[in-house]
Amino acid sequence: MLENNKQVILEAINLTKKYDDGVVALDNLNFQICNNEIFAMLGGNGAGKTTTINIFLNLLEPTSGDAKVCGVSSHIEPLTVKQNLAYVSENVMLYPNFTALQNLDFFTQLGGRLDVSKDEYREVLMRVGLAEQVHNKKLKSFSKGMRQKCGIAIAILKDTKAILFDEPTSGLDPKAGYEFIRLLNDLKDEGKAVLMSTHDIFRAKEAADTIAIMNEGKFLMKEKASTLFDKDLESLYMQYMAVHGLKPTTEGV
Amino acid sequence: MLKTLVEKEIREILSSTKFIYTFIVCLVLILLSFYSGAVNYKLNVTHWEAANAENLRSFEGIKEWYRVTENRIFLPPQPLATLVSGVSNDIGRTANIEPSGEIVADDSRYNEEPAYAYFRFIDLEFIFLVVLALFAIMLGYDAICGEKEKGPLKLCLSNAIPRTKFLLGKFIGSFAVLSVSLIVSIGLGSLLLPMLGVFLSSEEWLRLALIVLAGLLYFGLFLAMSIMVSSMAQRTATSFLILLIIWIGSTLILPRVAVLLSGRAVDVPTVDELGYQKAMYGTEQWKEFMNTLGNYEAIDNDNMEEVMANFNKFMDSISIAREDKMNLYRSRLNEQRYNAELERSQIAFALARISPSASLSLATSTLAGTSPNLKDKFYQQAKNYQTSLKEFLSGKTGMNVGGGMMIIELDDGSPEKDPIDPSEIPQFVYETESLSTSVKDTLPDFALLILFNCIFISGAFISFNRYDAR
Ligand SMILES: Nc1ncnc2c1ncn2[C@@H]1O[C@H](COP(=O)(O)OP(=O)(O)OP(=O)(O)O)[C@@H](O)[C@H]1O
Ligand SMILES: [Mg+2]
Repeated sequence: MLENNKQVILEAINLTKKYDDGVVALDNLNFQICNNEIFAMLGGNGAGKTTTINIFLNLLEPTSGDAKVCGVSSHIEPLTVKQNLAYVSENVMLYPNFTALQNLDFFTQLGGRLDVSKDEYREVLMRVGLAEQVHNKKLKSFSKGMRQKCGIAIAILKDTKAILFDEPTSGLDPKAGYEFIRLLNDLKDEGKAVLMSTHDIFRAKEAADTIAIMNEGKFLMKEKASTLFDKDLESLYMQYMAVHGLKPTTEGV
Repeated sequence: MLKTLVEKEIREILSSTKFIYTFIVCLVLILLSFYSGAVNYKLNVTHWEAANAENLRSFEGIKEWYRVTENRIFLPPQPLATLVSGVSNDIGRTANIEPSGEIVADDSRYNEEPAYAYFRFIDLEFIFLVVLALFAIMLGYDAICGEKEKGPLKLCLSNAIPRTKFLLGKFIGSFAVLSVSLIVSIGLGSLLLPMLGVFLSSEEWLRLALIVLAGLLYFGLFLAMSIMVSSMAQRTATSFLILLIIWIGSTLILPRVAVLLSGRAVDVPTVDELGYQKAMYGTEQWKEFMNTLGNYEAIDNDNMEEVMANFNKFMDSISIAREDKMNLYRSRLNEQRYNAELERSQIAFALARISPSASLSLATSTLAGTSPNLKDKFYQQAKNYQTSLKEFLSGKTGMNVGGGMMIIELDDGSPEKDPIDPSEIPQFVYETESLSTSVKDTLPDFALLILFNCIFISGAFISFNRYDAR
């Protein structure tokens, strides 16, 4: 990859969020994610991962600092920012009375693509691992993992420069988890910048280009995955957590 | 984009079981109200015709016009009153008209059918007030917080759509579904009318259309309010509870409180008090009358007829004087009471209009001709009729009818007279208010309904823009 092809897509500049009750969820956070890059945030419950993503989506205003997408601040021009963002939540919930295809159709149109054909929907659904026979089933009959796959399909269809994943692999079976990593790599190769929060150390190491360990709104560590190549990420994680006198959690896998 | 949102909203509502059940209940109730309205109307027409015929028959065989001392008039049934009954069942529908004296309408329908008085009829107004408001609440209470609870809201808002547009889509979609279901139900109900032999004039159709318009505005207002509350609450259960409380407060409690407060504000003498005062005055006048009568000295004349004529003339003059005084006193009391009553009801209506259900009731009943002033209008027209009856009978008998009169029938051997023709007695024709007057009278209520719509719609937009959608 040539350096001059690189372009910063997602960027946090001194990002700070203090909730009304005084909790400092984000504390001067800084990072840059370029195209063709996967950035994984590892961290225990309450570390501030979802808060970061919510600020990018303008569902929260930062107390100070900036969350920028393609150079545009999310709290200043939220609509422009959202055009360039796709989002998959930790628990994808769609319209239960609509079929998978209907949900896909609605959200894709909402995302601004009005000309997507049924075949393309089906293709993407197959790509995320949903077999043809469930495409016309109502979402209320879907399992959590199946909903998760639908959510990923919607994000793919939106076809944006950046994708935010909040614990995307929660609820996916091992095979689907494995396929998800492959999918992630495909998306990366298509040029997307991916910000992913996760509890899954192994998947993070497998997929990410950059890994950050987050605690109390701060990065304890931020390294290129290549430099971590032969280190044991799990013991590293435990080490960092232990240094900060905290009980780490690795649940949710 | 808006089209996508509206389409999705419509599709989502139509695919929900909640909508299907509510719509069926609504449809059945509306059809029922049209059906029972039509049947009642036809029954009322039959009763009315029979009562009129019976009244005419009571004059049969009478040979002297002076024996006609009263006529009974009946308020004719109106087809729209069966759809929006208003006060039409509460007020007296018939009155005995004597050429002079007070007019008291009696025999209200609820008098005859106490069960109805207790439970009221299911008419269109009731359906609007209760069922449609609930329908709107059912479809609106979870508009925003339901999307959040179910989950898709966050994903929707991660797209580049302004929140205003998102809410507008919801509002247009649900209002479209609601109004189409209402119009379809009422359309089907309207088809029932001619099938059951009730024919509305084109003016009445127009009135019905305006009634439906008022219903739609009321409906839109409740929908906007529900969406507003749903975008303030975080949970659907909270939103539903708040809306239920507002609904009960505005339809059941506020109007009653308004009446209660207005009763405290203005003192109106009861009919009994008034009756007592009138009776006291009447006794006084009667004493005076008898005194004057006692002082009468018959003229010294052998001609019996001349003596009678003189006496009658005297009687006539003092009766007229007494009657005039009585009338003056009565009308003064009545006017005082009427004015107090008017003031009280104006206060009551003004207060009650804080609740949009009062505006809806007043607008629909005014359009149907069954608003609270139906009683006054009937009374006023009965009063006019009294005058024409008096004139007619005076013309027929050549006497001041209605006063104290002594008639000695002398068998002067003249040939048998033919019976009078009762159809000569003037007919009572009830004139309904003109459409333009009705529309003018309902303008403030329409304005209020529109105002409430605007307030709630803006409220919904403001609160949704600040809504925590995480
Ligand atoms: N609405 C809120 N008001 C106050 N504090 C909040 C609010 N939402 C989150 N927090 C706090 O902010 C901190 C970060 O929360 P966040 O949801 O970002 O964590 P997370 O890293 O996503 O955790 P998890 O892995 O459990 O999803 C936590 O301490 C949490 O208690
Ligand atoms: Mg989280």
